Amino acid sequence: MAQQTIPQSALLEIPGYKPGAKALLVFFETDCPTCQLALPYLNALSTNNGGVQVIALSQDDAAATRQFVEQMEIRYHVELDQGLKLSRSYDPQSVPTIYLLNERGQVERSLVGFDKAGLNELARSLGQPEIAPANDGAPAWKPGCSSRHLEPEASEASATPEATPLLRRVGQAAGRITVADHEDPVEYCFRQFGDALPVVPPTEERVAAMLRACELAPETVVGRVPPVYAEATVEKIAANAVMAGCKPELMRVLIPLVRAVCDERFNAHGVQATTHFAAPLIMINGPVRNELGFWCKQNVFSNVARANSTLGRTLQLILLNLGGARPDGIDMSALGNPGKFSFCIAENEEESPWEPFHVTRGFDRGQSALSLFAAEPPRGVSEHTAQRGDVLLRAVCQALATIWSHRACMKFEAVVVLCPEHVKTLDRSGFNKQQVRQFLFENTGIPVRYYAEPDNGEGTQLVSQYREIVVQGERCYQKFASPEQIHIFVSGGTAGKFSAVLGSWSTGPAGSQMVTYPIPAAI
Amino acid sequence: MPVTLVHPGNETVAKAAAPPARLASLKGKKIGLLDISKPGGSLFLDRLEQILRTDYGAQEIVRTRKPTFAKVAPDPVIEQLRGMDAVIEALAD
Repeated sequence: MAQQTIPQSALLEIPGYKPGAKALLVFFETDCPTCQLALPYLNALSTNNGGVQVIALSQDDAAATRQFVEQMEIRYHVELDQGLKLSRSYDPQSVPTIYLLNERGQVERSLVGFDKAGLNELARSLGQPEIAPANDGAPAWKPGCSSRHLEPEASEASATPEATPLLRRVGQAAGRITVADHEDPVEYCFRQFGDALPVVPPTEERVAAMLRACELAPETVVGRVPPVYAEATVEKIAANAVMAGCKPELMRVLIPLVRAVCDERFNAHGVQATTHFAAPLIMINGPVRNELGFWCKQNVFSNVARANSTLGRTLQLILLNLGGARPDGIDMSALGNPGKFSFCIAENEEESPWEPFHVTRGFDRGQSALSLFAAEPPRGVSEHTAQRGDVLLRAVCQALATIWSHRACMKFEAVVVLCPEHVKTLDRSGFNKQQVRQFLFENTGIPVRYYAEPDNGEGTQLVSQYREIVVQGERCYQKFASPEQIHIFVSGGTAGKFSAVLGSWSTGPAGSQMVTYPIPAAI
Repeated sequence: MPVTLVHPGNETVAKAAAPPARLASLKGKKIGLLDISKPGGSLFLDRLEQILRTDYGAQEIVRTRKPTFAKVAPDPVIEQLRGMDAVIEALAD
């Protein structure tokens, strides 16, 4: 037993290791995307920030490791695991693996791969605040790569991977383009970088004005835009914002928006390449609506307000110019979506008796937020004569029943945009928002008789997975798997009893999940 | 006066990869069949596997499947296809 309290001799050989104090030992490879994602988070736990000694052990050579440390801005101790000696001794199965050593050098706990909950738990156990925020654009969890010492070709010397700066935090300054005298810059940009409409040329002066509205360095990498995964630096985002006609003050919305669209849960890779209609719908909540002029009233889906139109257009330009999913190329949508010009709405919180959408999504009312949903175009629901909330909601149920394909159940979600007049009817009938969701969930069904003919139509193959319910006396299959698949958003003008239903693309962990990001007061 | 613009696009030059030489024959070859997990894909690949074996004399068929068609193939799926002489990735629906 006594031997176990003595730090291993190999450990004592690590330059800089201080016996008698807690330590984090981190095994990593320079070309592992999960290591590139995870290791910068540990800066916050190092002694520089009043934490523990953090020692990262690279399984690669000096040149690759130096480059990694510079590009990932690692500010704690990094050593080479010469001959993978320590890797063999500790035997991590994959990298990154983080070992928390106690004062006697014993392993107290370990953390494998990238795991936000695990990192925050580790921080808490060290008396530190959380280090991995939920909405910083990184996934909640990401598996690592096989540890170098377990690779079949592992030699005595550390391997030398090809340098792949996949997840660097600081990118290159954007290049400059000189447009010849004889060329009209508007025509040039329209041809090279436009969305089939003229754009504002991103001159150095205009981009500089955009950058002055943001404290982040221009070369900061905010995200990598699928499916090509080009780096969206602050400067590139600003250039696209100029082209879309944004005011500089929109930068504080654009930065979290790019993080959101690059969030692996949203799966922009699939959304941008699918043959389906899906386009990212931006939904804005909170004080930012009034601060920056996001429109939430009549014509909310239309060309009504500069903030909505230019924010949505900037996202689309970024997806084109950095994501590379051009509508005549990688974006394979059979019919497309008019929302691919711009698709941004705000909630009419002032006309809603219910909690705002972002509060339902877990944020404070006073916090501004944006949500992204891979949406079909809106389909309208007119109901001008219903006096009761339940009658009105049954009209919405009929539209919800057609999401994706009328006999396809359980796998899809919907955003229901309720207009203020409909919300008044519902409120008068005593419905709160959760009751609306519950009613729509319980009363949206597809009659079982529609499946009687063995015609192999879409949605008929998975009937064994469906749930049977009775709607108004008729046996039906329940359309949605849970009330949480139905999202209620209040928006639009105060005159006219027209609401809308927007279907989803493939949802859940295997498809695209809605993401909600806070919008800071300044960035 | 020429106008200078900030490049708003992707400036990374993608490395071109030369395609491997076309196989002269499938006889005795190892063929990977990647099912992207769309409905009906397995039916199509079942038939393809049969044809490759009986009509073309393929020696080994390795079948692998993406967990979801909506995302890129994870490394373990790609790893199973290492060493194949050819891979057929099947779309379906």
